[in-house]
Amino acid sequence: MKIVVTVKLVPDTNAVKRIDPATKRLVRTGVETVINPFDEYAIEAALALKEKLGGDTTVTIFTMAAESGKEVVRKALAMGADDAVMLSDAGLEGSDVWASAYAMAQALKKIGFDLIICGALAEDGNTGGLPNALSEYLGVPALTNARHIEISDAKVKAQRETDSGYQVVTGALPMLMTVTMAVGEPRYASLKGIMGAKRKTTAVMALSELGLEKAVGTGGAKTEVVEIAARPARGKARVEEAADGPAGAKIIFDFLKERKLL
Amino acid sequence: MTRNVIIFVEHKAGHTRKVTFELATEARALADQIGGRALAVALGNGASTVAQALGKYPLDEIHISEDPDVDRFLLDPTVDYLEAVARSAGPSIVLVGNTMMGRDVAGRIAARLQAGLTSDVTGIRVEGARVECIAPKLGGNTITTCAFKEAPYGVVTIRPNAFAAASLETGAQVVQIAKPAGKSYALTIEAEVEEASDEMGLEEAPVVIAGGRGLGGPEPFDTLLKPLAQALGGTVGASRAAADAGWVPYSLQIGQTGKVVSPQLYLCAGISGAIQHKVGMQTAGTIVAINKDGSVPIGEFADLLVVGDAFKILPELTQLVQESKAAHA
Repeated sequence: MKIVVTVKLVPDTNAVKRIDPATKRLVRTGVETVINPFDEYAIEAALALKEKLGGDTTVTIFTMAAESGKEVVRKALAMGADDAVMLSDAGLEGSDVWASAYAMAQALKKIGFDLIICGALAEDGNTGGLPNALSEYLGVPALTNARHIEISDAKVKAQRETDSGYQVVTGALPMLMTVTMAVGEPRYASLKGIMGAKRKTTAVMALSELGLEKAVGTGGAKTEVVEIAARPARGKARVEEAADGPAGAKIIFDFLKERKLL
Repeated sequence: MTRNVIIFVEHKAGHTRKVTFELATEARALADQIGGRALAVALGNGASTVAQALGKYPLDEIHISEDPDVDRFLLDPTVDYLEAVARSAGPSIVLVGNTMMGRDVAGRIAARLQAGLTSDVTGIRVEGARVECIAPKLGGNTITTCAFKEAPYGVVTIRPNAFAAASLETGAQVVQIAKPAGKSYALTIEAEVEEASDEMGLEEAPVVIAGGRGLGGPEPFDTLLKPLAQALGGTVGASRAAADAGWVPYSLQIGQTGKVVSPQLYLCAGISGAIQHKVGMQTAGTIVAINKDGSVPIGEFADLLVVGDAFKILPELTQLVQESKAAHA
């Protein structure tokens, strides 16, 4: 079975982020790039499946990113993935969700897969629309927010998290899945994994190899950013010491009244 | 270009989710600005009950289907029905709640309609013929305004609690949707299991009472936070530490790898407010924190930080709120 994990490279949450007013894009220089934290769970889910299923199961990392992201991709290989493919092309710059999903779908068709696993959300945009759009372009079902994944004989059974619990969902490969944190804490790369990652291949794919029928990048995007502003930072809190329970409750109660929240 | 506005109704067996009423209200305002009709699509078991509830909102048409396939198969029938309404309505802006369900629907329908997608939107404005969507990005640190280019369709996910819901009886027409022909569905929903008793989703709750590591175990979530949440008409949330410890399900986790919430009131106990948590709640209206330590990071961006013992303060506060509500009832 061939599992492909899609990974987005995002700026580190802990870094101060800024957007270039001219290009209206995130300034990535000087900010450490990391694997979208949600996608680390997707990698973990894929590696756990590989261990469980054994045999000829492989895990391929796929990312649409500049070639400079190779070092970050290597971290996924060090965790235990078999190989990686990067779709890197200047022509992709300015792609929105629509254009990204379209280009990625064509690349994934070329790579081939039985199962695609994605993180549930992208940390930098809170979009979550991309995996779903991908499934449409690929014409495969999307089992979203999955956990407790069981696969045998190309049949899939998983729990799908909802706001109030979960659904038990069944289907057949090929399919696309997004996973939640309940699949388990992403593993650390072992020293052996880190050494081994250097010998694993990271293939680089260009747009010209995909034979796209539709425009991508800024020209193909269906949306455009017209304005970016910094959100005014919240001020410091009023700090009050509570002598005891009733005093603390009174402070909060009065504050809620003052704010017309009661 | 004249466009209609279509809202995707989220409900559970006829119990309409709050964000839907927010969408309905905004749909009318937007439709009036862009010269189209405001339509709703409600699907599955209970859709006709939902149509009644939505009758109190200023919509032109409510399209429904109670086809059991909608609840039997995962999402595919839902997207097919929504697509059918969008195609028959012609150029439209589709509004969907930014919820677990809504994000799935939005991504799918956007691809189907070859439409742009703007996410987690907190404001919509019309500039000439262009629809522009305003959304907080990068953990709420920036505000981005994104416009749809010329295309027949656009899809928007709306952050719950960002738009007001205002009822206004208009007597919307209820239309039955014909079953899309020639479809087969790949993912079967075998069972539905409820883990949390709260009907209200964390992302749309107007009040969130959250707990963290400082609470020391799972019990205080039920005994301290839940009663206060109920008294204030809200729901319970948690920090990652609490979810990782297994005290609450991950569906209640707020922050970088959890949910992003913007309630009117965010009140938390035993949460220090590290950046991973901050990015999930800093756009809340009012933030109140209770902590034993007066120097925790949350003091840098909360509105009120009470330094004290949450175990003693919360029951007292719950009682004050209950008494106040009873007096005003």
